[in-house]
Amino acid sequence: MKGSLIAAVTVDQFVAAQPEKVWRALTDPEWIGRWWAPGDVKAEVGHAFTLQMPVFGPIPCVVTEVVPHSRFGYTFNGDWTLTWTLTPEGRGTRLILRHDGFDLDEKRQRNAFDQMGPGWRDVVLPRLADVVESEIERAAPQEMTP
Amino acid sequence: MADEVFLALANPARRRLLTLLAERGREWTAGALAQEFRSGEHPLSRPSVAEHLGVLKRAGLVRDTPEGRRRVYELNAEPLAEIADWLAPFEGYWRRTLRDLAEFVENEEEA
Repeated sequence: MKGSLIAAVTVDQFVAAQPEKVWRALTDPEWIGRWWAPGDVKAEVGHAFTLQMPVFGPIPCVVTEVVPHSRFGYTFNGDWTLTWTLTPEGRGTRLILRHDGFDLDEKRQRNAFDQMGPGWRDVVLPRLADVVESEIERAAPQEMTP
Repeated sequence: MADEVFLALANPARRRLLTLLAERGREWTAGALAQEFRSGEHPLSRPSVAEHLGVLKRAGLVRDTPEGRRRVYELNAEPLAEIADWLAPFEGYWRRTLRDLAEFVENEEEA
């Protein structure tokens, strides 16, 4: 149920290389397995492929959005969506990944990372969808006062 | 407890209520909250708003205090930490993965 989606994780990273090269790392099957997971990826809307995740196993994906050297989106294991956005920045590229579709109705998803093994579990400061994030930030000072 | 928090959040009206309650410096009575839902894209009746407030209260996300004849509602964000705990491993995973990508791209000669 799309209306019930709330949370997403967004991570960004500067890459000291041109967007064309970052794009290739995301969309070239020869390259993608060398930094992440092997799979028959292709920058073509509707293309279905499988990523062989080292811990989690095979993940089915379907390409939903292609803007060459700029935006690449695909479904990831069914309900999730990964969207990669590339923006030129100085001599490099600002790469933003949005992992969307955490459904708070779905207990299965809540427990998903427990099944993914210890490789998934290192905890860094969380960034949530805007609503949830602002709740926590704004509410934090309140807890300091009695 | 955790299930109640997730179910409470799985509704746009209740998320909007939480966002309103997060605005500091306002005294949120049921009437003031209902007022916010009178117009806009998805208007809600006062009883509906009260019902959503009840769900949030049972989930521990909202507290209410009697003040005279009124009740003042407050956000209690503590249970939201559970959501953060849920998503944090994903964020950690992606940070590492994107670092791997950067390192790979920066060192790879374009063929």
